[in-house]
Amino acid sequence: MVLLQVVVGGLLLGAVYALFSSGLTLIWGMMNFINFAHGEFVMLGMYAALLTVVWLHGGPAVFGLTAAVALFLLGVVIYFGLIRQVMRGPMLAQILSTFGLALLLRYLAFWIFSPNFVTLPKTSLAGSVNLGGILLAVPQLVSGLVAVTLTLAMHLTLTRTTIGSRLLAVAEDRQAAMLMGIRPDRMQSIAWGLAAASAGVAGALMATAYPFSPSVGETFALTAFVVVTLGGFGSVPGAMLAGLIVGLIQALSAYYFGPIYKDVVVYGLFVALLWFRPQGLLGKL
Amino acid sequence: MLLEARDVVMAFGAFRAVAGASLDVAEGDIVGLIGPNGAGKSTFFNCLAGDLVPTEGRVTFDGIDVTHLSAERHASLGIGRTFQVPATFEDMTVLENVMVGAFLRHPHRNDAEQVARRVVAATGMEAQSDLRARTLGTPGRKRLEIARVFATGPKLMLLDEALAGLTPSEIQRAMALVRDIHGSGIALVIVEHIMEVILTLAHRVLVFNQGHVIASGDPARVVKEPAVIEAYLGRAHVRRAGAAP
Amino acid sequence: MRWGPVALIVVLLAYPFLLQGPFYEDLGVLVLLSAISASAWNIVGGFAGQVSVGHAMFFGAGAYMPLLVYQLWQLPPVVGAPLGVAVSLAIAVLIGTPTLRLKGHYFSMATIAVAELVRLVVGNWDLLGAAIGIMGPARPRGWWDLTFRSAVPYYYLFLAVLALVLGATWWLQRSRMGYYLRAIRAGERPARSLGVPVSRYKLYALMLSASFTSAAGSLYAFKTGFIDPESGLGILVSVQMIITAALGGAGTLFGPLLGALILVPLQTATNTWFGGSGSGVTYILYGGIIMLLARFEPGGLLVLYGRLRGGALRAWRRHAA
Repeated sequence: MVLLQVVVGGLLLGAVYALFSSGLTLIWGMMNFINFAHGEFVMLGMYAALLTVVWLHGGPAVFGLTAAVALFLLGVVIYFGLIRQVMRGPMLAQILSTFGLALLLRYLAFWIFSPNFVTLPKTSLAGSVNLGGILLAVPQLVSGLVAVTLTLAMHLTLTRTTIGSRLLAVAEDRQAAMLMGIRPDRMQSIAWGLAAASAGVAGALMATAYPFSPSVGETFALTAFVVVTLGGFGSVPGAMLAGLIVGLIQALSAYYFGPIYKDVVVYGLFVALLWFRPQGLLGKL
Repeated sequence: MLLEARDVVMAFGAFRAVAGASLDVAEGDIVGLIGPNGAGKSTFFNCLAGDLVPTEGRVTFDGIDVTHLSAERHASLGIGRTFQVPATFEDMTVLENVMVGAFLRHPHRNDAEQVARRVVAATGMEAQSDLRARTLGTPGRKRLEIARVFATGPKLMLLDEALAGLTPSEIQRAMALVRDIHGSGIALVIVEHIMEVILTLAHRVLVFNQGHVIASGDPARVVKEPAVIEAYLGRAHVRRAGAAP
Repeated sequence: MRWGPVALIVVLLAYPFLLQGPFYEDLGVLVLLSAISASAWNIVGGFAGQVSVGHAMFFGAGAYMPLLVYQLWQLPPVVGAPLGVAVSLAIAVLIGTPTLRLKGHYFSMATIAVAELVRLVVGNWDLLGAAIGIMGPARPRGWWDLTFRSAVPYYYLFLAVLALVLGATWWLQRSRMGYYLRAIRAGERPARSLGVPVSRYKLYALMLSASFTSAAGSLYAFKTGFIDPESGLGILVSVQMIITAALGGAGTLFGPLLGALILVPLQTATNTWFGGSGSGVTYILYGGIIMLLARFEPGGLLVLYGRLRGGALRAWRRHAA
């Protein structure tokens, strides 16, 4: 029974991983670019939720939305202010750019918010439910379910709407897309906005269930990298599947080997993937 | 026989970019590879150069089976190549670019520099020795690529559209350079679209279409073959051109 | 006679006599240490263009080994320095071979992950002090323990090592390896077509870089007499190397030194001005600087200076003509 609980808990968290990784994989697919600051986007989503609750006394829907909108804008601004120019430059510049951004955001957060771990004040999502013998905390359950829904929504948007197909077109073949009148710049900025927004919402969701501090960004970034690599760079369905797998592996590792080892196993998996199967499960390389 | 390629096949999944091509190059030869776009010339070229490992077939150079050897091994054995889109080392100077080539046979810096200077002078780039490659235009970059690979002391040079995008006078200059290089004893395989160049320079020509070699032999004769005209211009033009030679 | 480098050398040699007192001596030592690590990183990150963000593992190996041999066998820490180099070389070969195959961003991500793995493992390994770390000699048993009260002996030791690293880099620049590394950075495919054994040279660069980085770590251990997973293997150690080298000019000989000359005093200043939260502000600044660098002048200050000078020269010529 405990094992089942661990498994479900892992899958629920994995769903959230899938949500914030799907944005990262989209950017990768479109631009061959890794956003090293992605973990910080998640972290900022958490703090956006905190501020919304504290200042505006909003409920989960409100702070989820705030996180999404705020981060979307941030993503777009970063694209136009930094990424677009850096893309044309040398590799060192590309890697440094989002790295510098990560440092900036992380330590700004440390400065503004203090390094202490905080939790969201009690929201309407509290308590736990008993689902067929498994005890699940409501925040975890809701986060997981909302994350699945949103990731699915993102996938459907990409594959079923006009704007989605435009985004995918740029990811597939930039030149061809340009020839068809699609403006890659605009699409890429939207992708950045979407990626940041999904990271932000994922953060807001996790904030309901876990304590957080500005330091969590680094771990989330690495987690996102693993999920994206496992799922295949550029594949949102891959990210969905991989997110669940990673969440599961993490939970099981913590259960069998101890909490310290959950990160070790995940990072080890990551390195092994890069060495032996960089295209992941469903990706194109 | 310097270079022998036998029944080379290059397949990407189900798509066969090169579907069985053979080629012989003797010392001192100049062989042209022509054909419409997408015919498989460049892919075949890359198989010869070691950039791609053929799915089937064999490539032998100087008696050695090079089919599965790396590109760097090809170079050290004496096969040099240029790139369709010039790939010069942008932030290095002309001299430094050529030195990279020279270092292959001359591990010591002073020797390499001397050799590089000689090559730079021989290819007429002395005035630009200390300019960064990125400041050169396309003709300059193409010339630099040739100089750079020449410095590796190859026995065979594979030139991939080395004269594309040049003005008529630049083409003349480039052809003179190519002739000089050939004159120093290097065999050439040239991929080219410019007929004038092929007809003037090449001893023999292979015509590619859809992965196959559809014709080979004397350039002037080959370009009039119906199969060749059809490949480039379509069947209607064959009728208009009248029958064969 | 080029006066710039000569003046620099004179100042470096005479520094402890020009600015006296423990504060300036410590500052000098920190600048040199930063310059050594950044110059070491520069070999593989700047010249060869392989942006490793995991160099902390080499620094850490170099820092842990000396203190470990002291703690376990009471040997002078300096004995551990060559061991640190050996461990770093082993890591470089083991990790480098599969990782250097990866392109661009993949490579950088892999180095981050591997370094984090190492940090996690060491941080949970009691033999290596786990999260607490290892301490060196509290009181020196002799000069060979390299535990000096004043910073001045360290200063000259570090200066000697810096000279070694810069000397090696200078020689590298002129040699075939240097040209091949720059070619690899500029374009692996054309480099291969010219006979450059790309994989082998990338590994050589990593090994050389790892050895020097390990030396820097050992020097750090001698000076501070203490190491723990955060100070030796944390990602900020890696980031510091990169930004220092990049600020001055990655791929240039003196770029890393220039970066150190600017950033270390800057960091000390922000730490002093902002007190407790000082180190946080430093990294806000670092982040901003890195972004500006990446956006406007990835070549670093030396390149920027060259460009301005060239521009000024052209403007002067136009004016004079």
